[in-house]
Amino acid sequence: MVCVLLISGCSIWPGQDDSANNKKVTLTLWYWNRSIDDKLIARAKEKFPNIELTAQKIGGDFKAKLKTTLAARSGEPDIVALNDWIMELFPSEDRFYNLYDLGAGDIEEQYLPWKWKQGVTPSGQMIGFPMDTGPTALFYREDLFNEAGLPSDPDDVTRQINSWDAYAAAGEQIKEKFGGKVFLTDNIGSVYNQVLSQGAERYFRPDGSFIGMDSALVRTSWDTSIAFKEKGLLANADGWTPGWNAAMNNGEIASFVGAVWMKQVLQEAAPDTSGKWRVARAPGGDGNNGGSFLSILKSSEHPQEAFELVRWLQSPENQLEQYQTLNLFPSAPGVFDDPAMKEEEPFFGGQATGPVFAESAQQVPDAFFGERYPSVHNIITRRLNDVAKQNADPQQVWTDTVHRVERELQR
Amino acid sequence: MWARMWEHRALYVAISPFYILFAVFGLFPIGFSLYLAFHKWDGIGVMTYNGLNNFKYMLTDAEFWQAVGNTFMIWIYSTIPMLFFALIIAFLLHAPFVKFRTLFRVGYFLPNVTSIVAVAIIFGALFANNYGFLNYLLQSVGLPVVEWLNAPWGIKVAISSMVVWRWTGYNAVIYLAGLQSIPQTLYEAAKIDGASAIQSFFRITIPMLRPVILFTVITSTIGGMQLFTEPQVLVGNDGGAGAAGMTIVLYLYRESFINNYFGYGAAVGWGMFLIIALFSIVNWKLVQGKSS
Repeated sequence: MVCVLLISGCSIWPGQDDSANNKKVTLTLWYWNRSIDDKLIARAKEKFPNIELTAQKIGGDFKAKLKTTLAARSGEPDIVALNDWIMELFPSEDRFYNLYDLGAGDIEEQYLPWKWKQGVTPSGQMIGFPMDTGPTALFYREDLFNEAGLPSDPDDVTRQINSWDAYAAAGEQIKEKFGGKVFLTDNIGSVYNQVLSQGAERYFRPDGSFIGMDSALVRTSWDTSIAFKEKGLLANADGWTPGWNAAMNNGEIASFVGAVWMKQVLQEAAPDTSGKWRVARAPGGDGNNGGSFLSILKSSEHPQEAFELVRWLQSPENQLEQYQTLNLFPSAPGVFDDPAMKEEEPFFGGQATGPVFAESAQQVPDAFFGERYPSVHNIITRRLNDVAKQNADPQQVWTDTVHRVERELQR
Repeated sequence: MWARMWEHRALYVAISPFYILFAVFGLFPIGFSLYLAFHKWDGIGVMTYNGLNNFKYMLTDAEFWQAVGNTFMIWIYSTIPMLFFALIIAFLLHAPFVKFRTLFRVGYFLPNVTSIVAVAIIFGALFANNYGFLNYLLQSVGLPVVEWLNAPWGIKVAISSMVVWRWTGYNAVIYLAGLQSIPQTLYEAAKIDGASAIQSFFRITIPMLRPVILFTVITSTIGGMQLFTEPQVLVGNDGGAGAAGMTIVLYLYRESFINNYFGYGAAVGWGMFLIIALFSIVNWKLVQGKSS
């Protein structure tokens, strides 16, 4: 068996050479489940008869597989989907085609500017083409808000709960009404993330320098999250856990600020609460959380054909279609007024949530992330969890976090 | 010598697959990781020489030392009860009055071949803070709930219990093999001399089992130091609340594959190698020491 493995590993027998009599260009596309509709890929094959498209759904840890493939410099696909960790690949921009060179500039105005910029490196190379986005809004339980004497109509909620302070005040009202059995929101990390996502900066400037832990935005996000903890508004239910699902389904959490793709997550986690949820604009402003991109790797021999394919796959019309089939929120605002975006949703009590997220998507502030964003962000949210779950002293944790981030940036 | 080797070339070719595979998948990665430990590399871009900086950073990193401490705590929490239970189970399985022994042996061995990820998910449901089965039991007898996965010791207990569940049967089967190799005549002689069951257990069984105990201690040391999947699935890449479930390998994984410090991850790997080597020697001395 070992011999068989060895032989099949190195291709001793060359494959049949059909390139001589066939002008078809072969392109490989890597994506993950539910990032592109399979029917759309099937249609792409009809649309581009000159392209032999091999679309591969990569399971497991997509990022790790892509990175090891890039490190190995072999077996790379032509086109690859990237998630919002795209900034981690900015130092390796030379491994990707600059999409501006392939004609991306011609269609730039069709896409949300802040989203477009997320795919452009500090040196001005565009390595990621916009796919879906993750505009945020406030998800809340209409019945619980109503019972607690809070506004419950989405428009009223948007008007009255318009700041994090107003949101915290609503939380205290809920806490009092339900005797501490219902919490305002899920966990400290989600509060911190959402306040941060509404700001116009993160931790770094585009030149790579560190803004500092004392930036107004970081301090506001930190202090807001700590205040939510101290007021007892957090259920301490971490996302993607059975505990979170159960708390949502049992009505222990009255609301959370989340990205548009949380609609799907919530519907699957809390089927018993169908019809009771509503969506209003997020307190404190609009933000974005998540979203993906398509890139063309430098190893591709047919970048122009690959770009034409990418451009077609993510055209406004096809993005609209994927909103309907897979709930992927378009990054092309031109389709926001389409009737398909305004359909009523039974899970949200017949509310059409599309326009809420569309409004939000157009107001997301521009923000530069930088390739070290994930490690700094992770240190901070980790420490916040110590405050929320282990009652660590917030001042002590803050000092410790500043120290830890400084150390991180030295290496 | 070469002439003799050439003469037996067919035999060498026949045994070569192991050496080739070992060189490719064993030797090369070991050498490469040593090279990598002195470099800075994000996994994709250029590798730059970093001297001893990775090691310096590791030795001054509080999170690394916390991971070392966590790993040892979890090792103690799991290995002592595990080997104790294994010995008792083996002793019972060896007793002449037990029927269906093969069935029991298979049964005790089963946890060991169960997927760790599945095990971690089940244990996660047992220890969950809200809606966990253990908390349900505590509540139903009127006790206060324990936030297992928020308390540093609770996380360690949860991870250790997974290790105990998974490896007790494995060690029991090994002890059983050891017990079966002790000549029955020794026990008969002891009985004639008037020794009690407890006396013959401590004076005959334990001394005769010493090599087997040494083997299980060393394998549990290596296994315990390399603990990864259990904490990762149970509490995530950051080791859960207060990083209480952060083990050395989980730390290595996070630094390399989440934070992209591959050179640093390699250095941590070598640090771990040294710790395992030292610790194994200490264990060996301790267990050996009793006989002299």
